[in-house]
Amino acid sequence: MRNTNRALNRLLLAILGVILLGAGAALIAAGTLPGAAGFWETTLSSAREHVRNLAGTAPLPDPVRSWWLVLGIAVLLVGAVLGAVWLASQGGGKTPRLAERSEGSAGRTVVDAGLVSAAVKEALNGHPDVLATSVSAWESRRGTALRLRLEARKGASPREISNTVEQLLQEIDAWLGHPVPVLVRITSGTRTQVSAARRAR
Amino acid sequence: MSKDAASRRLTRRETHSSRAIPSIVTASLLIAVFLWLTLEAVLWLLKDQPLLASPAQLLEWLIGLPVNTTQAGMVAAGAGLGILALVLLGLALGTGRRQRRALGSERAAVVVDHEVIAAALSRTARRAAGLAPGQVTTTVGGRSVRVQVRPTSGEPLVVEDIQAAVDGELAAYALERPVRSTVQILNEGAVGQ
Repeated sequence: MRNTNRALNRLLLAILGVILLGAGAALIAAGTLPGAAGFWETTLSSAREHVRNLAGTAPLPDPVRSWWLVLGIAVLLVGAVLGAVWLASQGGGKTPRLAERSEGSAGRTVVDAGLVSAAVKEALNGHPDVLATSVSAWESRRGTALRLRLEARKGASPREISNTVEQLLQEIDAWLGHPVPVLVRITSGTRTQVSAARRAR
Repeated sequence: MSKDAASRRLTRRETHSSRAIPSIVTASLLIAVFLWLTLEAVLWLLKDQPLLASPAQLLEWLIGLPVNTTQAGMVAAGAGLGILALVLLGLALGTGRRQRRALGSERAAVVVDHEVIAAALSRTARRAAGLAPGQVTTTVGGRSVRVQVRPTSGEPLVVEDIQAAVDGELAAYALERPVRSTVQILNEGAVGQ
């Protein structure tokens, strides 16, 4: 339900994996193949020479010495910022508002997720197979969706719980006027572990 | 599948991992490394004491690495990086399926934990065979469901009955990724319940 950019996560993890794999292979090659060790040394030494030559050009007053060094530091900072952007792209999208409609000069109607939450809790309170419920609303570019998380009693039939919820959703649909996408997650949680299974019915 | 795109999307996102936690860990490490390198570079420019090593020292160390390290050390370090790389690639390119399944539903995207399905099937099998709790163990995997029944000593069980009950229950779930069920009656019985 979260707005995490999943394709981006996969792409970046794959890129980092490939880079690390290359570094690991280079280390092993430099450790075992004599030619590779020499190549390692000459390549890095020439890279160092290159950086030294660059640092001599485009001069600046003393502590900084060269624009190229400023550029190098800027690149490192950009790397840190991109990491922060990646970090910030995880999760998000939870909203307290399930639906909203503007009626022009007559005002706006906002339906809080808490309203549906209270209704669902009320309806499922005392249901023998549902031990706990939590309801949240999630917003994405595609619109707002409702998420119901139900903790099932050990051994409870998910089909029966699902049927109960579907009936409940029909009532909520009629009540709200237009259906919203709903995700129902039937799970086991701490309440499942501590509550006994139902023996008879 | 008669469901609309929104519902399918919800199901897909709930049954597959977002890789958020590995991403958060990797991004944090990247930020730390880049900030440290930036700080070292600035300290080096200001001709100040480095925190751990200046960029010049780092490069020197990197150039001398194959000469100053034993062969075994290089191979071990390379293998360590390789394993880390394979873990990242596995996370990135794997299916990322979670231990959950989508249940057929007209109105909503219903996703059920494997654990809940297993408990429900255990109960179904137990009721079909008239056994006590704990005599049936069910494991739900990616493609199959395994029901293991420990009969009460001296009271033979009919596999077909239990199989029919389990299959009936599974059919009622209308799982979107179907499973094959096997019922196994263990040789060892439970003492009279």
